[in-house]
Amino acid sequence: MSGGPLIVQSDKTLLLEIDHPDAQACRMAIAPFAELERSPEHVHTYRLTPLGLWNARAAGHDAEGVVDTLIKYSRYPVPHGLLVDVAETMDRYGRLQLANDPAHGLVLRALDRLVLVEVAKSKKLAGMLGDRIDDDTIQVHPSERGRLKQALLKLGWPAEDLAGYVDGEAHPIELAEAGKDGRKPWTLRSYQLEAVEAFWAGGSGVVVLPCGAGKTLVGAAAMAEAKATTLILVTNTVAGRQWKRELVARTSLTEDEIGEYSGERKEIRPVTIATYQVLTSRRGGAFTHLDLFGARDWGLVIYDEVHLLPAPIFRFTADLQARRRLGLTATLVREDGREGDVFSLIGPKRYDAPWKDIESQGWIAPAECTEVRVTLTDAERMTYATAEAEERYRMAATARTKLPVVRALVDRHKGDQTLVIGAYIDQLHQLGEYLDAPIIQGSTTNKERERLFDAFRSGELRTLVISKVGNFSIDLPEAAVAIQVSGTFGSRQEEAQRLGRVLRPKADGRQAHFYTVVSRDTIDTEYAAHRQRFLAEQGYAYTIVDADDVLGPKLPTVD
Amino acid sequence: MTTSLADQLRTLPDESLAALLQLRPDLVVPVPADISALAIRAQSRVSVARALDGLDQFTLQILDAARLTRDPESGSTATDAILAMATAGPHPTAPTAVRAAVNRLRALFLLYGPEHDLRVVGGVDEVAPYPAGLGRPAAELDPRAAALCADPAKLRRTLLAAPPSARAILDRLAAGPPVGSVPPGALQAPAVGAEDSLPPDATNGGAPTGSPIRWLVDHRLLVRISGGKDGGTVELPREVGLLLRRDSGPLGPLRTSPPVVSSPPREPKAVDSAGAGQTMEVVRHTEGLLEALAAEPAPVLRSGGVGVRDLRRLARGLGLDDATTALLFEVAYAAGLLGELDLTGSATTRHGGDQQVLPTGGYEVWRASSLAQRWEQLARAWLTMTRQVGLVGQRDDRDRPISVLSAEAERAGAPAARRAVLGVLADLEPATAPTADEMLEVLDWRAPRRSRGRETAHREVLAEAAQLGVTGLGALTSYGRLLLSDVTEADERGADDPLGLRSEAESGEPSTAVRALDALLPAPVDHFLVQADLTVVVPGPPDPALAAELEVVAEHESAGGASVHRVTTASVRRALDAGYSADDLHKLFRRRSRTPIPQGLTYLVDDVARKHGGLRVGSAGGYVRSDDEALLTEVLADRRLESLAFRRLAPTVLSTPYQVGRMLIALRDGGYAPVPEDASGAAVLARPKTRRAPARVPVSTRALDPLAAPKLALPRLRGVVEQIRRGEAAARAARRAPAVVRGAAARTGPAPAHGHSEALAVLQQAVRDRALVWVGYVDAHGATASRLVRPVSMGAGYLRAEDERTEMLHTFALHRITAAVLED
Repeated sequence: MSGGPLIVQSDKTLLLEIDHPDAQACRMAIAPFAELERSPEHVHTYRLTPLGLWNARAAGHDAEGVVDTLIKYSRYPVPHGLLVDVAETMDRYGRLQLANDPAHGLVLRALDRLVLVEVAKSKKLAGMLGDRIDDDTIQVHPSERGRLKQALLKLGWPAEDLAGYVDGEAHPIELAEAGKDGRKPWTLRSYQLEAVEAFWAGGSGVVVLPCGAGKTLVGAAAMAEAKATTLILVTNTVAGRQWKRELVARTSLTEDEIGEYSGERKEIRPVTIATYQVLTSRRGGAFTHLDLFGARDWGLVIYDEVHLLPAPIFRFTADLQARRRLGLTATLVREDGREGDVFSLIGPKRYDAPWKDIESQGWIAPAECTEVRVTLTDAERMTYATAEAEERYRMAATARTKLPVVRALVDRHKGDQTLVIGAYIDQLHQLGEYLDAPIIQGSTTNKERERLFDAFRSGELRTLVISKVGNFSIDLPEAAVAIQVSGTFGSRQEEAQRLGRVLRPKADGRQAHFYTVVSRDTIDTEYAAHRQRFLAEQGYAYTIVDADDVLGPKLPTVD
Repeated sequence: MTTSLADQLRTLPDESLAALLQLRPDLVVPVPADISALAIRAQSRVSVARALDGLDQFTLQILDAARLTRDPESGSTATDAILAMATAGPHPTAPTAVRAAVNRLRALFLLYGPEHDLRVVGGVDEVAPYPAGLGRPAAELDPRAAALCADPAKLRRTLLAAPPSARAILDRLAAGPPVGSVPPGALQAPAVGAEDSLPPDATNGGAPTGSPIRWLVDHRLLVRISGGKDGGTVELPREVGLLLRRDSGPLGPLRTSPPVVSSPPREPKAVDSAGAGQTMEVVRHTEGLLEALAAEPAPVLRSGGVGVRDLRRLARGLGLDDATTALLFEVAYAAGLLGELDLTGSATTRHGGDQQVLPTGGYEVWRASSLAQRWEQLARAWLTMTRQVGLVGQRDDRDRPISVLSAEAERAGAPAARRAVLGVLADLEPATAPTADEMLEVLDWRAPRRSRGRETAHREVLAEAAQLGVTGLGALTSYGRLLLSDVTEADERGADDPLGLRSEAESGEPSTAVRALDALLPAPVDHFLVQADLTVVVPGPPDPALAAELEVVAEHESAGGASVHRVTTASVRRALDAGYSADDLHKLFRRRSRTPIPQGLTYLVDDVARKHGGLRVGSAGGYVRSDDEALLTEVLADRRLESLAFRRLAPTVLSTPYQVGRMLIALRDGGYAPVPEDASGAAVLARPKTRRAPARVPVSTRALDPLAAPKLALPRLRGVVEQIRRGEAAARAARRAPAVVRGAAARTGPAPAHGHSEALAVLQQAVRDRALVWVGYVDAHGATASRLVRPVSMGAGYLRAEDERTEMLHTFALHRITAAVLED
């Protein structure tokens, strides 16, 4: 029995004791094939999933190596059955290959004839396969490349895509590391460089980096590598403008070379930034802006926030399999569980870094998470107790009692850029009045939004109240404090996004604070428990305090 | 001079005879009466087959050599002849090995007699008809084939002339067995003149050959031994077979030792470790299975066994596949951890199931023992159980699925198969992991007669051994080896010690296998790590005390080498319900945790404890409430009401365990003025109730003169009159019935034959005229009757007629009609 840091569980989770001297080495060894599920302070949990094992296989790791690693670092005997299962699962990847045949075009080639026979009989592949060329090869309709990969993954025989990519229309793009227009010189951070290299070597795939870790730069570097026309898909217009700003500042591209394709403007330029919304808008049941995908010979397609990618875009992506695709996201967890589609259509995960690690490298401000529990007044408790079930969360989340607590928190961090985030418009208006701060909500025009953001960025504005629109991809570099008053029923993904708001690098490396104000003994607390679990799993210290401690005369130090 | 086997045996000294009986123990069941009975038995087909079953491939081949070298006249052979044949091939075997084999055969008395005059016991030819896979000599089969074989040069030429497709058939038959069946039509000659239209034969350079078998038979290389016009079987004459085997020797390839396993040995530690990991899984899954069965016992099917639906349910619950679950199920049953329980009153509870399978009392004992001991109990049960679990899920001869624990999966040979497979593994270098095919090859050499046809069973044994952790990474584990030798030893000891006296003495001491496994398994831990996401990680198997504590305070989340638990609101509440206080919980976490307690956990415990007991629930017989607190205080303080045992629940509520009625009386006696209320809080008013008899109709509603005749309405009167008239008419009519009819009816003697036919004629006429007819007939009770009717139809032996008086349609059986007279 070796005293290794790893404990292999029979449900295929791996527990890594991080205080163990070998923990770091072990983490490096298992990272390629196991997915980090939670990383609280003492024991990190990784999970062996078929997708993860196939990702590893795609990156050139073999089953023998994985088994050896498990045995080497495991503290206790590893069940034979689990080892066999790992080996068998990994063996399934690449038995089928998609390749370009000089004579027949795109073909599905089998290294194992029986597998080909098995999948060819499947009803799920009906219509995707063409003529049988020989015993081991079947012609594939080029238009079905994406759908075939999707279907094969569902059958448990993921195909290795070796068919290559078109180069696309060349366009010179360089990183302006020397500094542009009088800006300071800069360099890519080491992990950004690794991410781009991993992506480029793999051809297509997803890079997972936390918010604030500079995903835009990874995109820019990938473009500089491709040196071709690029289509960038982002969640909304503000995020698109942010991309544009960043690209102009960090690369050789000029304003004129970057087009915006949104509800407001329809520009198609060598680098075009389009929003998901405009692409998925329909007129008379038909997608009207699909032509964008064929408008130019794109050499690279970048998907920002892959975890939010709407289902129709998956369908379009299935037709784009011959182009290089880069997915960027903070988390691969999709609330709709379509991780498999991301794997088969955009590509395997190419790079992933645990948040805490990046933070310890100093790129992200360390955040302090605090939950403040507010005791409702008796009247409010009464109203809550008698409310309809569907109204309860709203009642609890929008309790007026929260207002003074929020103000106390804002006052405590006087001088810091503070964001107050909520989900209910009425409550936001109350807060806006109470704190005397402007509000950004869905109906705020893009112009007004940008004005407010600019003011906030410049420090003119200290406090900003934002609604759910802030969940996605806005960039507020100087927000050091976030106060969350209500959310979307404890969505983990929303939590990650909101935390990202305050995790962007701070100019002076100050402590970031993330407060959540919840009503005690209500459903609000239950949702908060989900949130707490998520944050703790990400390794953040989490404290719970009572509102009285915040409101009390002497401010307690929260550390 | 030849001597019989009996004579041979008679000459043996006692020791030699005893040695024979030891080698072939079946000879003494039952004990033979004398030597000649023994000799007969030793030559019997059954006993010989048993003796042959245990022999390895090489020895069997040497026996074949002995049979082939027999003199056709005297039937005897000699060691030298055997030796000559065995070493005849291009790769001659060592003579010592051959001699050793001959000695083995002689010890078994499969060969007997002196070296120069060896004989093969009779049964051998019956058991294995084709020695060394060679056919009979051509002389015994067909004179023309014999003629061909008698001329070696011609035989050789004919062989060389054989087309490739025919040669392939010859080679297959030469490898043995020498008999093949012929597809129908293969021997038919093509129609005359159609030879040219034969399809070209690719194996013969394109020239058409017709059927290769026909060619062979025509050229006397094969002899038809049975079959009609087409089809049947062919045999390869011995001489042809020997000629074809000239490259490998007459006996085919000889191997004096078992095939060598070429797989490289693995790291013994890795093997043990993988196996030990698997043992933990097996024990955990078995426990899960038994717990699931304890929670919901599986019904026993009428046909025996547990249904596939229940198996699937259990498998799903355990997260295993059906086959593994079936294995664990069978093993747990064999280990005595599961048993059937008769259901009482089963007729009403469930259709078809009179019995259920659920854990036995032995399960409790098993659960309390150490991991290694639990595994050993399962593994021992597996080694000795006469069940072939691989059959579960397949279909039997009648195409019905074989279910778990059903009689169809019973195989007496299963333990021997396991012993054989594990025996091969045990004889290899430690940590050698042969592939399944290599394993089967070795088994095939060791006892070909036993292992042929059991390849599937042997493969299953390998798979099961891996699943149970007896093997790891395909090699026998160190503790598995110990267990195997332990079981084998126990078997042997059992033979010497039928009453089990000696094994009794060492029970209680863990076996060597258990000790070896114990050393491999992780030691129990008594601490855990608590994290901010409220998970509690026990980095190893928890010791029983810790496990019991965690059972209460946290939810189980993941199992394996370590276990992960999560503290939730519900689990903390459960702990509080179980009697822990918030303080106890804090202490528990502090005591057991190796890491600082996260603030979130402390807060959670306090928060739940704060709310715990916020609502109180109890039962009461009745309550007293009042808005006047002083009044309630007075009631509470009233000594006369002490017997009611009031308890003050709130300033305005008292409760008592006694019923409302008693409380009311007591309160009223005490001079209070209580009002009872119902469940909705409304006052229940009670007036005194007096007893009354049931209501009666008052006399006043009756008529004044009860004797006065009721008045009749006119329509009613008319109806009555009509009724009377009709009755009268009927009576008159009856009286009017003609004498013939009445007479016929009244006559006691048989009706005159003409009367009946006359009556039918009258009736027929009446049907045509639709006239009224008097009919005399005998009814079902034999009574005679007459009736005035208007016939409607007549046919199929029945008369249908209308009775005017009753306006009914009557049916008369014609044979009962005695007379008929037209109404005049």
